[in-house]
Amino acid sequence: MSSSGFSVDEADLEKLSPADKAELRQFFANETQRSRIRAQTHELTGVCWTKCVPAGTVKSGALASGEQTCLANCVDRFMDANLATLKHLSSMRK
Amino acid sequence: MDSDSVKKTIMKEALQATNTAEAQVLIQNINETCFERCVPKPGSSLSSGEQTCLKACMEKYMAAWNQINTAYVRRIQQEVGNQGQGF
Repeated sequence: MSSSGFSVDEADLEKLSPADKAELRQFFANETQRSRIRAQTHELTGVCWTKCVPAGTVKSGALASGEQTCLANCVDRFMDANLATLKHLSSMRK
Repeated sequence: MDSDSVKKTIMKEALQATNTAEAQVLIQNINETCFERCVPKPGSSLSSGEQTCLKACMEKYMAAWNQINTAYVRRIQQEVGNQGQGF
């Protein structure tokens, strides 16, 4: 294995058929999107944890039903607020 | 290596790298959040109450992450379905 941790070198890359290249492009496009969604999930978990899980010692590893509802609402209202901001921004530009 | 095994190796190693990076972010976020929560006044060692809190906090944070990921993906799919409406 090379220092980058990847075992494929440039000579190997030249062996890729057009069909496999196309499949890899699609694979990386999908992975890029999955990666963006996970990054946003990390962000939202931080924001919604603060809002939905009461301050102080955590007593249970399971989410209480009120916390679950709050987290679901938190995601939806965050997205609503995001859209409202974009909408208002576009109206300001007119 | 032939074309197919080069392709499969690239995919496998890319996924491993992504998963490692993802796990690191999650662990770092859990550490920051749960340390803040469970160890408000650091003493000379972690008390058993602090340790219990850290375990519960970690489990709860992961449960929250999963729930938020599901809710977020559902919402994105809904927005894609609504495309063209709104703006």
